[in-house]
Amino acid sequence: MSTRLRKGQAPTKRMAHVWDASKCIACGACVLSCTSTNNPDMMTREEKGWHSVASNIRRIDSVTAQGRPEVLLVQCQHCEDAPCLATCPFGATYMDDNGMIRLDPRMCAGCSYCVTSCPYNVRWFHPDSKLPKKCMGDTCLELVADGLQPACVQACPAGARDYGDLNDPDSSVSVTLRTKRSRRLLENAGTEPKYFVVEGS
Amino acid sequence: MAPADLHFQVDIAHWGWSIAWFLWFVGIAGMGSVAYYFVRKAALSYVIFGSLAIGLVLVVSHLGRWWNLPRTLWTMVTNGIFNYSSWMIIGIVLLSVHLLLTVILVASHVRWLQRIGWLKWTGSLAKASAYLIVYAFLGFMATVYSGFLLTQASGIPLWNTSLIPVLWVVSGSIAAIAVIELMYVFGLIESSVSTLAVRLGLGLDAIKLLAVLGFLHVALAYGSAGARIGATAMASGEYALMTWGGVIGIGILVPIAIGLYTVLVKKSKPLLAISSIAALAGVFFLRAVVLLAGAWEPLVL
Repeated sequence: MSTRLRKGQAPTKRMAHVWDASKCIACGACVLSCTSTNNPDMMTREEKGWHSVASNIRRIDSVTAQGRPEVLLVQCQHCEDAPCLATCPFGATYMDDNGMIRLDPRMCAGCSYCVTSCPYNVRWFHPDSKLPKKCMGDTCLELVADGLQPACVQACPAGARDYGDLNDPDSSVSVTLRTKRSRRLLENAGTEPKYFVVEGS
Repeated sequence: MAPADLHFQVDIAHWGWSIAWFLWFVGIAGMGSVAYYFVRKAALSYVIFGSLAIGLVLVVSHLGRWWNLPRTLWTMVTNGIFNYSSWMIIGIVLLSVHLLLTVILVASHVRWLQRIGWLKWTGSLAKASAYLIVYAFLGFMATVYSGFLLTQASGIPLWNTSLIPVLWVVSGSIAAIAVIELMYVFGLIESSVSTLAVRLGLGLDAIKLLAVLGFLHVALAYGSAGARIGATAMASGEYALMTWGGVIGIGILVPIAIGLYTVLVKKSKPLLAISSIAALAGVFFLRAVVLLAGAWEPLVL
């Protein structure tokens, strides 16, 4: 059971997500497995703002200058200096001792400040509960607490996703980040994200 | 060509018209409280109270989970969790105290309330200079808060500028002056106060014009992609009519033209009424257009 960190406390673990863009086949299994696992009631409903399936993973399709189709998968970056943590007026958004950015629904009034504060645009409003949803969902948190991987990691057929502790030098994510070229999104935003995009060997 | 990842906040975070109205009412109440230090009229205190009350009702009703607010506040207090790094919680505290002081001010002006023995203290307290200085400061800070509320939303690059609180204070002052002009039109204030207000308003309109154009120029010329998307929507896109017609045309040029006519030719109550309403509308359009044009930084691989 993870606990809420108080001001000045440092997390004992720094759990991070890794997405290997060089392995990804853009099948969308991670996006759908996220919804079916964490928000099954949203499987047939659209996230109106994004015009896509309501998932904690947002898929951005684009085309490079050379005309090559490109996919970017974005989700909560569990930033070490998370803007949503600073702006949430009621303390509903917090960091736990695993370094994960969490939401306490008891303390959320649905003001949307966390939504406008997130530079990655990864929070979406559940139309019924009006909670600002994001990675990780409740069921994925249960999976992780039971020592399993989150739904997206389990569902990926190409092995393009991973999740682990950056503080553990032997964890699979640490090894990947040590041996492969990777980058983080919006590095200049100063949020210290813990979502890594692997670009190749 | 539009970027693949283009999203305006109003479609996802839903900070739209009701928040624009909230910011407008806070601006009127906030800078109206500063004006009250100089113009201590009952009508002004009623306008401040009305604006604050309507603004607060609007912002609470906008909350997606407003029904959870009592539980939220209770959990916050019992767990000792106070996030004073959030401008929103600073604003909640400021507006609550401001509302309380406004109620005292209004009570001091209502004659039948002053006849009730245990409420007479409101009359003497609300006349004290120290009280009115604190009141004006709180009003000023409430207006400043309503600007920093946007500035702190770091997902929306168009808003990440300290020009917004400055713009909010200048335009809030214009709104307070417009209220004073309307009070003159309705015979609630002396002509000399109105003349001074018109001259002050002219200067503030010029500063507001410079600040609005500066806001657009900086975002368009030197801003990030997200800021440029927002500023383009304001300057030549979806919200261009609101910017050039509403904010600048109705909100600044009409009051400047009528203000100049008033100072150089003659004072006319119907024209001052038009000028005041135009100025108030412009202050609203400014808040609405800045809110609606807010977009995220497009993400690219």
